[in-house]
Amino acid sequence: MYIEHLGLKNYRNYEDLTINFENKVNVILGENAQGKTNVMESIYVLAMAKSHRTSNDKELIRWDEEYATIEGRVKKSHGPLPMQLIISKKGKKAKCNHLEQQKLSQYVGNMNVVMFAPEDLTLVKGSPQVRRRFIDMEIGQVSPIYLHEIGQYQKILQQRNHYLKMLQIKKQSDETMLDILTEQFIDKAVRIVSKRYEFLHLLQKWAIPIHSGISRGLETLKIEYKPSVDVSEEQDLSKMVEVFTHKFDKIKTREIERGTTLFGPHRDDMLFFVNGRDVQTFGSQGQQRTTALSVKLAEIELIHSEIGEYPILLLDDVLSELDDYRQSHLLNTIQGKVQTFVTTTNVDGIDHQTLKEASTFTVDSGTIKQIL
Amino acid sequence: MHYPEPISKLIDSFMKLPGIGPKTAARLAFFVLSMKEDTVLDFAKALVNAKRNLSYCSVCGHITDQDPCYICEDQRRDRRIICVVQDPKDVIAMEKMKEYSGLYHVLHGAISPMDGIGPEDINIPDLLKRLQDEEVQEIILATNPNIEGEATAMYISRLLKPTGIKITRIAHGLPVGGDLEYADEVTLSKALEGRREV
Repeated sequence: MYIEHLGLKNYRNYEDLTINFENKVNVILGENAQGKTNVMESIYVLAMAKSHRTSNDKELIRWDEEYATIEGRVKKSHGPLPMQLIISKKGKKAKCNHLEQQKLSQYVGNMNVVMFAPEDLTLVKGSPQVRRRFIDMEIGQVSPIYLHEIGQYQKILQQRNHYLKMLQIKKQSDETMLDILTEQFIDKAVRIVSKRYEFLHLLQKWAIPIHSGISRGLETLKIEYKPSVDVSEEQDLSKMVEVFTHKFDKIKTREIERGTTLFGPHRDDMLFFVNGRDVQTFGSQGQQRTTALSVKLAEIELIHSEIGEYPILLLDDVLSELDDYRQSHLLNTIQGKVQTFVTTTNVDGIDHQTLKEASTFTVDSGTIKQIL
Repeated sequence: MHYPEPISKLIDSFMKLPGIGPKTAARLAFFVLSMKEDTVLDFAKALVNAKRNLSYCSVCGHITDQDPCYICEDQRRDRRIICVVQDPKDVIAMEKMKEYSGLYHVLHGAISPMDGIGPEDINIPDLLKRLQDEEVQEIILATNPNIEGEATAMYISRLLKPTGIKITRIAHGLPVGGDLEYADEVTLSKALEGRREV
């Protein structure tokens, strides 16, 4: 799929902007603080209905304005799809094919994007929370059922934690109710764990050859899922339920003492290994960056295999951080199949066929011009 | 906008009702002024009577103007089956169906530790008492198909297991007469899980 038209009104530093794009590499050139990243962000927001930079939607509205609008026309294999997102100070309204969508979970997933920004390095270096969010967002793009399960899981977790707290301070003494909540909790937890296993398995399958390509065959990547309760991929749901039940039986008194749920998918993590060594602890800056890049590129292939179309790739300020070999490997992978947006301050250093054929736009304090 | 005191009080009262904002309340209040005095008096009486004369049935917990309620009193009903629901509104929904001839038990809520509602805060003890002296053979758990409703249903079934009474849970899945294509993904996957051989 590709986006052929983008219109912004009162979005960040753009008052009124319309641009048309082609299904190839689009380079967005400009000095610092002119609004390059804002364009990338707006495409991301149009797809995901939230920003990767902030959780406060009000920041997206231009100073002193009441609301911001992003609209786009996405060309998919079965025809064009108009998308529109209106962000006001009270909330947002999402329209897909001119129809307002009541649930955002029904809006997200119509347009798929993969973004690679400097922040994504934290995928390898950062806390487990970052990796769990990555897993959940990516599975969510291709599976609405998973989004629902995660929502239910969070709710049961809250109920269970509240009940454990009550048992802890002796406001409640009925342990049967705790057993019920544990049973409900396990039922959702195992579904999430097995879905995460399935996803990371696929992700690894796509990431291995990509990583090997980027590192000239010198490095072998391995992605390992670390569920906080020790279950393995081969086990089916009923076997996992057994393992979970056994675990929670054993820690029951400890959980009541602590007044909170000690294990479960909300404590999961994933590990990256290069040539058998943990990248988070032992990897160099370069290895961490390559790993993050391989995972993102693998995501493109994964989305393609799940929904039959390539997503839109957004590369924000990352091209300049890669060495020549990695740059050209990246550009070779996407050449001719993925619509890509690249922001950079200059293209002089980059000598690649893909960039010579690319459309180039210049950004200057909130206005964009195409260089012909 | 300055209203005379009687009317601003009336507007205030209307605004206490669900779904009524200041504009609708003002329109209703001015309409009351144009009504005949008798009609207004009847209206006021109906409001007060509804509150004063209605109470909860001491047996099943349904709203009623006599105790026990007309369902519990009705000798033609099948006393061997009790359907457990969350709200009096659920009883009315079930009664509209005209297919169910057993009795009811209204819980007045569902277990939700987050909102501070534990098992003893809803009408479960009365249900246990009923089972001791009545000849009940089946309990149908018809709580809502959400997390709290499921937890409540599971809790009751766990409590009643030792009694040996048959316990059933209502099914969930596709609405009848609807189109498959309009069902949301979650309902569809539930319906698929609960499929059965024909």
